[in-house]
Amino acid sequence: MYNFLIDIFGSPVIAFFVAAALPLFLFILPYALIAVLAERKVSAHMQDRLGPMRTGYHGIFQTVADILKLIQKEDITANSIDRTLFNFAPYLVFIGSFAAFAVLPFSSFFVGSSIDIGLFYFLAISSLVVAGILMGGWSSNNKYSLLGAMRSVSQIISYEIPTAIVVLTMVMLTSTLNLDTITNQQTAYFWNWNILGGAATGIAKFLLIPLMFAAFIIIFISTLAEVNRTPFDIPEAESELVSGFFTEYTGMKFAMFFLAEYANMLAVSFLITVLFFGGYHSPFGYLGNSLGIEWLVPIEQGVWFATKGLTFVLVQMWLRWTLPRLRVDQLMTVCWKYLIPYSVAILLLVGFITLI
Amino acid sequence: MKQYFINTWEGLWTVLVGMKITFKHLFDPAVTIQYPDVKPTMPERARNRLFVNMDDCIGCDQCARACPVNCISIETLKSTPDDTPGETSQGKKKALWVTKFDIDIAKCCFCSLCVYPCPTECIEMTKVYEFSEFERNDLIYKFAVLTPEEITDKTQKYDEFQAAKEAEKLAAAKAKAEKAKQDAAKKADDNPDKKAE
Amino acid sequence: MELYDIIFYLFAAITIVSGIVVVNAKNIVHSAFSLLLTFFGVSGIYVLLGADFLAIVQIMVYVGGILILLLFGVMLTNKITDVEIRSGSFQVFPAIIGLAAFAAILFGVMTSTNWKTESFEIPATTTFQLGRLLISEYALVFELLGILLLVALIGAASIARRDKE
Repeated sequence: MYNFLIDIFGSPVIAFFVAAALPLFLFILPYALIAVLAERKVSAHMQDRLGPMRTGYHGIFQTVADILKLIQKEDITANSIDRTLFNFAPYLVFIGSFAAFAVLPFSSFFVGSSIDIGLFYFLAISSLVVAGILMGGWSSNNKYSLLGAMRSVSQIISYEIPTAIVVLTMVMLTSTLNLDTITNQQTAYFWNWNILGGAATGIAKFLLIPLMFAAFIIIFISTLAEVNRTPFDIPEAESELVSGFFTEYTGMKFAMFFLAEYANMLAVSFLITVLFFGGYHSPFGYLGNSLGIEWLVPIEQGVWFATKGLTFVLVQMWLRWTLPRLRVDQLMTVCWKYLIPYSVAILLLVGFITLI
Repeated sequence: MKQYFINTWEGLWTVLVGMKITFKHLFDPAVTIQYPDVKPTMPERARNRLFVNMDDCIGCDQCARACPVNCISIETLKSTPDDTPGETSQGKKKALWVTKFDIDIAKCCFCSLCVYPCPTECIEMTKVYEFSEFERNDLIYKFAVLTPEEITDKTQKYDEFQAAKEAEKLAAAKAKAEKAKQDAAKKADDNPDKKAE
Repeated sequence: MELYDIIFYLFAAITIVSGIVVVNAKNIVHSAFSLLLTFFGVSGIYVLLGADFLAIVQIMVYVGGILILLLFGVMLTNKITDVEIRSGSFQVFPAIIGLAAFAAILFGVMTSTNWKTESFEIPATTTFQLGRLLISEYALVFELLGILLLVALIGAASIARRDKE
């Protein structure tokens, strides 16, 4: 992809910036447009309502209208805030969530950065989000913001552990940290996906399937908590904390936080897709291959990847409008007493199975 | 230990049950009424904006007196016989010109108490519920049909009539007095005749 | 100037500027947050040196762990944020002499030392070799570090635990 861009632009510097900005314009912004609307529509229909209906057919331009509104909004900065940190925090949060996209393989043509520590990088770079949240919460000089930030950070740090252990399990199974290699190990049909035991053969595959399902559920729950979505939205908890760490933010800075939240949702969904559901590989084979049109295959792969990722985003929304918010002690119980022991057990069992 | 696994199972299972319920509702038809496009149907005896049929109003002021919040103010003018307001639809003669019939709907409490005393059933609660305005003064509805010129005209007429009546009365009184005088004079005249007989 | 040079100077600038802010900031929270940028810049330089694993560990451990811990400590003990930290200049003249002497010595050493240079191809990734070394040659050290961390964890848990009386 990078070489292709160098060919087009003739300069590695321009190609570098274009390659870096491409996921933003190709995936995150259109996705955010769709996802915010989808969130409102899904929530509305789950509650037997209609949702936005008046901007365009069934309100499809509602997000566009909202963005236009947010751009026009006055940028309110209270007097007693810490101005430097307050202005920097939204960008840090967005950098953290956007940087995670750098290592994701979107299709065989568009792999991002195929580095051998991709998974590790993915987990590490999200700590910038943590710092950004803390920065925003503290600099707002508002008790609700600070409480929200504290809750958010403690939650993310706690839930990083089960995520990391499950990722470690997958690393043991695939014996690589490169997300592209992990994807390519699950090539061909859907029975090669890691959720169905991956490329293992014989009895090991059947032993792996239940473990992989459990690992998938654990990482889904823990990443859901990491992106601060309901039922783990105690950092935002509208009924208690106004809106958590971004209470004081207005206009485009608020939009940055909002975009970062949605980008995070997509990033963790893509991570789950790569780890368990074959990444960009089609479950059935490619139309481009059977028709003999070579350039169709990468596009198909991109579509498959986006479809799988968006499915998990939809499930996240579905859960959000199904479950009430957890209490803080319940949150910690779920993490420390349930997810971590189970994930450690899975880690040991998978290690044992991969050895034999 | 057994409780631990039961908890795990219940946690997952109840989440799935909840998800099933929300999934079902995803396909249920929405109960939302798309208000400005689709109007909600009002119940039979809904009490909303007041309406006065001025053709039937006889200016009896009963509705204004019944109103608990004094939102109706009525002023009337007596009519002259040559220029009467006509009859109500039920054939009742109207004796008064209604020069002012204002309802301050902003004050109205929609109690419908003004509707019951009306003898001609001309004031009623309608089903119109969209009557927001930008100016508070616009919420004062003026039902009187007479124009200011007409009112001055009527007032003048009434005054003239009144004056005429006065004059008539005066004339009548004068005539009466004259007649009495005449009668007296006649009597006085008659008597001598009788005496003469 | 190559692309890598630009990136190197960018990271170097981030590291140095934020390092100066860490030392000079009046507000201790500002110091802590610019420490984040310092760590970030250092990890960028690690990447340019071919030590990708180390760079990620730098972000994971320092930004994700230690810095957050530090911030929690600073924010939860609100007395610290209220205290006026004096970062004025004391004894400027002796400090300049000391610094100049140190710089001169450092520069002298750097120029006079006969650095051993050897052509060496930077491996595309260090993860594999690091992993292999950690579980073969340095297995004992690795395990001992693990046990040390476990001891620290258990110790923290036992300190934090409320005594039942």
